[in-house]
Amino acid sequence: MDNTATIKATEATLKPHHKYFSFNIHRVLPWVIPVLLIAAWQGASSLGILASSTLPSPLAVLQDGIKLTQNGTLPKNISISLYRATMGFLIGGSLGFILGFLNGISRFSRELFDSSIQMFRNIPHLSLIPLVIIALGIGEGAKISLVAVGVLFPVYINTYHGIRSVDPDLIEMGKSYGLNKRELFSKIIFPGALPTILMGVRYALGVMWTTLIVAETIASDSGIGYMSTNAEDFMDMETIICCIIIYALLGKLSDVIAKNIEKIVLSWRDAKGVNVRD
Amino acid sequence: MKQRWRKFSLLALLIVWISVAYYGYQQVNGESTTLTTITLGYQKADPFDIARQRGVFAKKMKAKGYKIVWKQFQDGAAELQALKSGSIDYARLGDTPGIVNLAAGADFVYVAAGSTKSNGSGVLVKKTSSIKSIKDLKGKRVAYTKGTSSNYLLLSALKKAGMKSSDITWVNLDNSAASVAFNKGKVDAWATWDPMTSTAELTQDATLLVTGNNGISNNRDYVLSTSTFASNNKEVSSLLIEYLQDDMEWANQYHAKLIKMLSKSLNLSTKVVTRMVERRTYAMTAMNSTTIKEEQNVADLFYEEGLIKKKVDVKSAVADVGDK
Repeated sequence: MDNTATIKATEATLKPHHKYFSFNIHRVLPWVIPVLLIAAWQGASSLGILASSTLPSPLAVLQDGIKLTQNGTLPKNISISLYRATMGFLIGGSLGFILGFLNGISRFSRELFDSSIQMFRNIPHLSLIPLVIIALGIGEGAKISLVAVGVLFPVYINTYHGIRSVDPDLIEMGKSYGLNKRELFSKIIFPGALPTILMGVRYALGVMWTTLIVAETIASDSGIGYMSTNAEDFMDMETIICCIIIYALLGKLSDVIAKNIEKIVLSWRDAKGVNVRD
Repeated sequence: MKQRWRKFSLLALLIVWISVAYYGYQQVNGESTTLTTITLGYQKADPFDIARQRGVFAKKMKAKGYKIVWKQFQDGAAELQALKSGSIDYARLGDTPGIVNLAAGADFVYVAAGSTKSNGSGVLVKKTSSIKSIKDLKGKRVAYTKGTSSNYLLLSALKKAGMKSSDITWVNLDNSAASVAFNKGKVDAWATWDPMTSTAELTQDATLLVTGNNGISNNRDYVLSTSTFASNNKEVSSLLIEYLQDDMEWANQYHAKLIKMLSKSLNLSTKVVTRMVERRTYAMTAMNSTTIKEEQNVADLFYEEGLIKKKVDVKSAVADVGDK
């Protein structure tokens, strides 16, 4: 998936830039489904096929969003959610990376940790809430650690898998070139594992947002998750849908960031015949 | 060149991300003080919420050397978990979660009780429904929320009408799901409380088949704490009751302001909130023999029905709030 994206991008750079008005299908295609969906939705609402009490029109949702932005609720809650998500991601991501890295290179650590982590991984986050409340209370720590737990596993699994699946021939080759352990890691194992690790990061960014909505139901009075559960309690459909759309946009935004980091860090993959850069 | 532009825009995006997150960090971490912090758990539009929004309560407590921190919860069960772990010091909730937790061996005590809400709690049916009395519920599907006051209300109403709990089909749903199920006719009746009842009456063409009146369920608010905290902080408990009572008197007196405040926090139309407010009064008093008896009834009926496995003696779980 990512490979095709990067190849397409390089093709685009190779093309001359004089055709300003050319219709680039690849730019338009990703937006076709969202735009059609919204158009159909607005159409159905305007024609009265959808009752406004069941599903408000996109326009009503937009107005609700503008209203919430003007009274400051939306910016405040987004910033708080973003803080929790970022902290949780940093903590969980680093833990996942360290564990994945250790288990990837050390058999001892693998045998010690891996099966416990696999057991822990499949526990639904929702069922952890009572435990989290007892252990960490109801403050920010509880919410952030729940996000961290969610983020930990995809990063862990991909780091672990990435390191384990580096081509053994390449390692053999490195050894015959006389690389020491550190060089072996920084020149062969880590770059080889990086695409898989970054895939884990992208996946983790998605999990980060979905866990956050669960975490923000714990004694919360702020955050997007709070906003949407709050609206849900009283069937405030405009705000519910507004929150869903914000989640979708935040998810897309974090994906765009991750994808671009991928493109920058993995630029050596596209540059043909160039040596592995440090 | 393209790569550089990409790096630049990525950096800009990340800087925006981090500064917004930092702004959020400042939002959630308020200033610290030397006052003793008392943390109160509340649910939307309850007596604590009224005191919180009015703001007078926190000021009075501050004058006495206590800093009040408010924590909002979705339901009583979560609130009591937080109380158990010491994350909050007092919890305001309905009449049943306390009993369920006491039966499970929790070390809670009752600190205060609110006034009756029996007019606004009950079993809803559609106006067009053929169900005209509680007897007609036989064999019907009734929505309720397990472990909440609606559970008790429904049991109590059936018992008063001389029916068995197995005479109806119990459908355990939380309020938002129950509202949809009731609206779509997936359940024949719905046991719940205000503001869900007033919302359903005004927007879903529903009517109350039976209310909590006539001794079915007074559905009061209760304030709970842990026995250790309550016995070490008698002064706080008695101040809490005194100042909350002031707020409750305010709430009884200034309906227009109250309705505006609640309709904003509940995000409900003033029509719905007016109905809710007009059919109840507000109060907050120390536990007395009436309220103890009512809670004992809840405990006994739950034990009879096998919902809790241990008998609960409410009298032994009442906080001593000192002489007032």
